[in-house]
Amino acid sequence: MRGIFAAVALAASPALADGPVVPRFIEETASSGLESVYEGEWEYMVGGGVAAFDCSGDGLPELFTAGGASKAALFLNRSEKGGALRFEKAEAGVETEGATGAYPLDVDGDGITDLAILRVGENLLMRGLGDCRFERANEAWGLYGGDAWHTAFSATWEKGADWPTLAVGTYIDRTQEDFPWGNCTTNWLIRPEPGERRFAAGEALEPGFCALSMLFTDWNRSGAQALRVTNDREYYKGGQEQLWQVLPGAPAKLFTEADGWARLRVWGMGIASADLDGDTYPEYFLTSMADSKLQVLKAGPGKPTYADVAFKRGVTAHRPYTGGDLRPSTGWHAQFEDVNNDCRADLFVAKGNVWEMPDFAAEDPNNLLLQREDGSFEEAGDRAGVASLLTGRGGAVVDLNADGALDLVVVNRFAPAQVWRNTGEGLGHWVALKPVMPGANRDAIGAWIEVRAGEMVTRRELTVGGGHVSGQLVPWHFGLAGHEEAEVRVLWPDGTEGPWQKVAADGVWVLSPGAEPVAWRP
Amino acid sequence: MHLTRRAALALFAGLPALPTVLSAQEAPPPVLRDWYRLILELVRHTATYSPPVASRAFAYVGVTAFEAVAGGDPSLNSLAGQLNGLTPLPARDPALSYDEALVLNAALEQAVTSFFGNTGPSGQQAMKRMADRKRQRLSDGKDADLVARSVAQGKAVADHILAWSQSDGGAVIENMGFPYEYTPKPGPQYWVPTSAIRQQQAPLLPNWGNNRTFAMPNGATCALTAPPEYSEDPGSDFYAEAMEVYETVKSVTPEQKAIARFWSDDPMLSPTPPGHWVSIACQILEAQGQPESRCAEVLALVGISVADGFIGCWQAKYEYDLVRPVTYIKRVIDPNWEPLLITPPFPEYPSGHSTQSGAAAEVLTAVFGPGFAFSDATHVDDGIPARDFPDFWAAADEAAMSRLYGGIHYRAAIERGLEQGRCIGAYTAALKTRVA
Repeated sequence: MRGIFAAVALAASPALADGPVVPRFIEETASSGLESVYEGEWEYMVGGGVAAFDCSGDGLPELFTAGGASKAALFLNRSEKGGALRFEKAEAGVETEGATGAYPLDVDGDGITDLAILRVGENLLMRGLGDCRFERANEAWGLYGGDAWHTAFSATWEKGADWPTLAVGTYIDRTQEDFPWGNCTTNWLIRPEPGERRFAAGEALEPGFCALSMLFTDWNRSGAQALRVTNDREYYKGGQEQLWQVLPGAPAKLFTEADGWARLRVWGMGIASADLDGDTYPEYFLTSMADSKLQVLKAGPGKPTYADVAFKRGVTAHRPYTGGDLRPSTGWHAQFEDVNNDCRADLFVAKGNVWEMPDFAAEDPNNLLLQREDGSFEEAGDRAGVASLLTGRGGAVVDLNADGALDLVVVNRFAPAQVWRNTGEGLGHWVALKPVMPGANRDAIGAWIEVRAGEMVTRRELTVGGGHVSGQLVPWHFGLAGHEEAEVRVLWPDGTEGPWQKVAADGVWVLSPGAEPVAWRP
Repeated sequence: MHLTRRAALALFAGLPALPTVLSAQEAPPPVLRDWYRLILELVRHTATYSPPVASRAFAYVGVTAFEAVAGGDPSLNSLAGQLNGLTPLPARDPALSYDEALVLNAALEQAVTSFFGNTGPSGQQAMKRMADRKRQRLSDGKDADLVARSVAQGKAVADHILAWSQSDGGAVIENMGFPYEYTPKPGPQYWVPTSAIRQQQAPLLPNWGNNRTFAMPNGATCALTAPPEYSEDPGSDFYAEAMEVYETVKSVTPEQKAIARFWSDDPMLSPTPPGHWVSIACQILEAQGQPESRCAEVLALVGISVADGFIGCWQAKYEYDLVRPVTYIKRVIDPNWEPLLITPPFPEYPSGHSTQSGAAAEVLTAVFGPGFAFSDATHVDDGIPARDFPDFWAAADEAAMSRLYGGIHYRAAIERGLEQGRCIGAYTAALKTRVA
């Protein structure tokens, strides 16, 4: 999942006077060659992730899909630029059973993307070898993969570290099938072994409250990463949402009521973040059952106190808006992205019943909530053509055919994963940015990118984590509305502020410290 | 270190023993205990189970268990003809024998899987495993005809109760009990939504007060006088009550805060308020080693009392439709004030926890006697320590006052709620469960 955006000065666009442009998506599942089903019994009622990243070097993201009790798969992206979506299943060395989800990241800083696969059982770190081949690297990198029901992941590079820090979230003790409640297992913080390019033994993040999403994020722009954890209240006792302070060299510490952290208990299933209100701090959207939450920082950067503005902003996404099933919804993957390139972050939410829960909608359409000029959102999933009634879980809003219009993948439980192509009709200009740093943290995780298009400034935090067991590592997308060029800058993880630099619209640019933007030519 | 509920029970000492306590050799398998342990968990994992709906399930499951054992125990008196609309239960064949544990287990399996049929996948799995395991264990080594006959009898009892339940007005819950559309009454004295949760822009179960009651004639039987007249005049009684809530929360003590949290009993995060009283009864019954028949009797009475308590309370809530303290205080006294507890999404007067706690205390006092001291470890697994009480009314009083400490009720709703509960509970306590 990826952070995003803010509109500081909202310049009205004549084209948007009647509301945001609704992008047109065409489902191309049947013709695309993407054939994947997330299945399995109780231990796979959550999970079902997808990872999007380019491992072939052609600039088009491949897709890794978790299969649950069935094998996971990697699909090579064979789409033509701007054309129909095409995928080809590959033998890549990642075809493991038991996968719940995955996150791409470059662990060893070699410029080749690696893959963290979460599993029911042992987690796997798969080292990218190039040309979409992978090998197990748990032993080489010192990772103990555990033996638990793994359901959440995030990664960051702590200040001064040349090796990433991982957070791994777990769910229920799966030996307690008869009486699972109150049996959440421990989450883990896995830091580098000092002085070595490998992981040290994990530090327990206790108590664990059945995490279904984690996100390293600089919530107050202090320059330090914190770990946001959303937990499923169905199974914890005495639990709540969590925010861990993670300072270099110190054990992780929970923010408490005394620090301003207010107790919130939801069926937390996914996290999306975005600076929606332009105050430079990220807001956090939490998927749940019935009402979702949208949290805004309430008392300034000194205290992690949040107010819920989901109702005010129109993103409660609490029950189906089409399909005729009026029972409350169940939300999973969430992601802020500008799907109509109007300089405003929109919100996608994958929906689907947990498992024959009669109190909740069985036919639960995915949400595509488009942001209006006034900061509120309107539902457009049905009009855009993505209101699938299958049982959604993980997902990715990502440009699959390099045309600047973000496409969509959703993994479904006991049903085929679906893929939609955004036709791009009537959308604004765009730019995609690929920061590259020297050193270990090549992809500049923890940096912020700001984009100025006319009067509008949007920004997003570069993260690995969040969503619902679904991650992506691709150039960061920004809509530019009617602007044919933009100014961009990077606030690098070490605090260095890059200069504002001009880039032309409708292309992908590589941004490096001390260098001019370079058009990306994969 | 957290005590488990089981460990806390071991702390019971000096509790007055009831006359009938079986020896270990005579003790039947703990059918009732295990099923109640499960339903106290299921109630927090079944989204429709707001407190009123939960109370209904506790009543019907309790009555099912009681009728299952009463059919084989000549000392017990059926509730048919005593509870509104309950007709005589399917009779046993007097010429044949039955296995009492199997009858009870089959009745509970049928009742629990029906009343908690909407629970999530883990609950479904837990119910199935409990049913399979118990059925197997209780049947082992027994005559097949006896097993089949006993299971059929238990199911017949449960089916009879289930059929009876369908006509009470509370059988179908949509949208977790929240109407899809609702227009608040015009006027500052009336309830308005208090949360930013979209689903809760309409109040919970506005027609629950019309449901068929169990032991009392109807929802209006223990009617309340009107609350203090609404006024924004600082010299008015209403203002004074609101100011008391405001000041109490502003100066809440650690002990008051602990009390508010202890009795908060939030739906989907706890066994709910009616489940809290069922839990208290279970703890005492287990500590005393009471036989299944006595447990079934007590749990039926507690379930009936809290269910009637919620119907009576809800009848009054929607008759008066009173504004919540958080609304009034923010509008009239201090716009920045916040209650300690989450304000429930329905009208204020009377306090539901007060009414149903009063009803439960009345019944438990009748069962165990006045001055019955106990320790309540309901929330120990949630990290909330046990609390000790000198008697049931002390617990009910504390539960009621917790709503003032939490900032969600005025004093009138608390005190009159308790009195309403006492009145409602008296109807339950008057039921004849034993042959004279």
